[in-house]
Amino acid sequence: MNHLKAWLGIGLTAAVVAAAVAAPWLSPHDPLATDFAASLRPPGAPGHPLGTDQLGRDLLARVLHGARLALLIGVCTVVITAVGGGALGLVAGFVERWPAAVLMRLADVQLSFPFIILSLSAAGWVVYARVVRGEVLSVKQRDFVQAAAALGMSRVRLLLRHVLPNVAPSVIVVASLQFSSFIVAEAAISFLGFGVQPPTPAWGSMLSEGRDFLYVAWWLAAFPGAALTLTALGVNLLGDWLRDTLDPKLRV
Amino acid sequence: MRAYLLSRLAQTVLVVFLSLSAVFVMVRLSGDPVLLFMPMDIQAKDVNEFRERLGFNDPLPLQYARFVGGAARGDFGESLRYRRDALDLVLGRLPATLLLAATSWLLTMGVAVPLGVLSAVHRNTLLDHAGTVATVLGQATPGFWLGLMLIYVFSVKLRWLPTGGTGTPAHLVMPSIVLAAFFAARIARLTRSAVLDVLNEEYILTARAKGLGEARVIGKHTLRNSAIPIVTLAGLEAGQILGGAVITETIFAWPGLGRLTVQALLNRDFPIVIAAVFVISVTYTLINLAIDLLYAWLDPRVRLRP
Repeated sequence: MNHLKAWLGIGLTAAVVAAAVAAPWLSPHDPLATDFAASLRPPGAPGHPLGTDQLGRDLLARVLHGARLALLIGVCTVVITAVGGGALGLVAGFVERWPAAVLMRLADVQLSFPFIILSLSAAGWVVYARVVRGEVLSVKQRDFVQAAAALGMSRVRLLLRHVLPNVAPSVIVVASLQFSSFIVAEAAISFLGFGVQPPTPAWGSMLSEGRDFLYVAWWLAAFPGAALTLTALGVNLLGDWLRDTLDPKLRV
Repeated sequence: MRAYLLSRLAQTVLVVFLSLSAVFVMVRLSGDPVLLFMPMDIQAKDVNEFRERLGFNDPLPLQYARFVGGAARGDFGESLRYRRDALDLVLGRLPATLLLAATSWLLTMGVAVPLGVLSAVHRNTLLDHAGTVATVLGQATPGFWLGLMLIYVFSVKLRWLPTGGTGTPAHLVMPSIVLAAFFAARIARLTRSAVLDVLNEEYILTARAKGLGEARVIGKHTLRNSAIPIVTLAGLEAGQILGGAVITETIFAWPGLGRLTVQALLNRDFPIVIAAVFVISVTYTLINLAIDLLYAWLDPRVRLRP
């Protein structure tokens, strides 16, 4: 069962990445090109495997290009939050005392917020900060860190050379587990009308447009949502596998 | 105990105050609220009069002081759109959101905890594998997509349930399922692993060795000891369900707090946004306090310190 999950995760993630990279070759249509003569064609229509939307744009091309945007946003937010939250956690774990207290109160403020009001990168740092701080607290007690400190290594160098490499696996695991929630959150925000604006093909805004046509064209909502679900599924399974391999005790 | 409660309440006030200050800053950063609210063709003198009346011409520290002073008395100003007290409007929407949140929270717990326990007890059986598939899918499926697909199947095709709105129990079915799906998946996974952890403990072996029936071993010795992580997550989720209701309320046209907040954000009706953040963060911190008190009751080894 676990092998199956791991392979499914790797396969799905690889497929989504490949689809995003090869989008222009997989569908010859321009995701923005409208064709009113061919609007609201059902899936299987000639030349449009997934059908067309209310403006006659090819749905396959839009879903594929949506994958590019989703992955781009996922990677950017994960990098920003991992670097920001990780740095805060490193400092809080190393210095202890008041920075830790400030950090935990900030985390409370953050958690008591309705998520929608926050932009994505503002929301993700807390988990990294907490996990990294916990790891640093234990790593800095280990003998090799104590030894390096006794040899007169500076605190900054100690932190970067000896502590950081030892907390890196947890950061990677957290990043992979957060990736899909970022993609879904971005889609939710676009769905509500705050995020990526039409006509850019984003899964969230496509779903929101598809909602208005639910009575006549189910495929407009079904396919972007299915793409989103499969991506989230693949990345989640990949994250579980990474955790089991790199850091089985980690609880996020 | 009294010292603990007092210190926690003081922390609650601090957290709510910081949340409100953050919203104040964000509102000011997002642009001139007056211009954002006014129609495009308004004249400059009207803008200025409006600004003067709402106090936007005063220096920022003064505006902040007035904001904090008003907030302390529960006065968040008038809604720019409805010309009514913002807090009243928000509180008027609260019951609908609480009804939806409570229903889906009960649904979450009622489905997820038994599922998690059964999966752990019957580990590596067909039931466990089916449970794993369900939870993995539940965690990956975005609520707004699930909602649209349910509407398509049960409202558009089968015509069994209303697409949205409120009033009868039938209106509550799809929104609470959509809201519960994601959280139920998480609770079920956590319950399974927490129960598995406890089943490996020596006192469970002892309980079995002295001849206790399986129902007693699971029901009394295992469940109570695996309750702490489950209660923690259940509490966090009670708060997140309140916040997550935003999207579900939008899809199903549920007249709750979340929909009011989203519309207020789209209309730049900031007094409503601020009042909503206030109500949500107070509710959330109070839920967390209740959870911490529950810990001490569940596990007498836990000591509450101020």
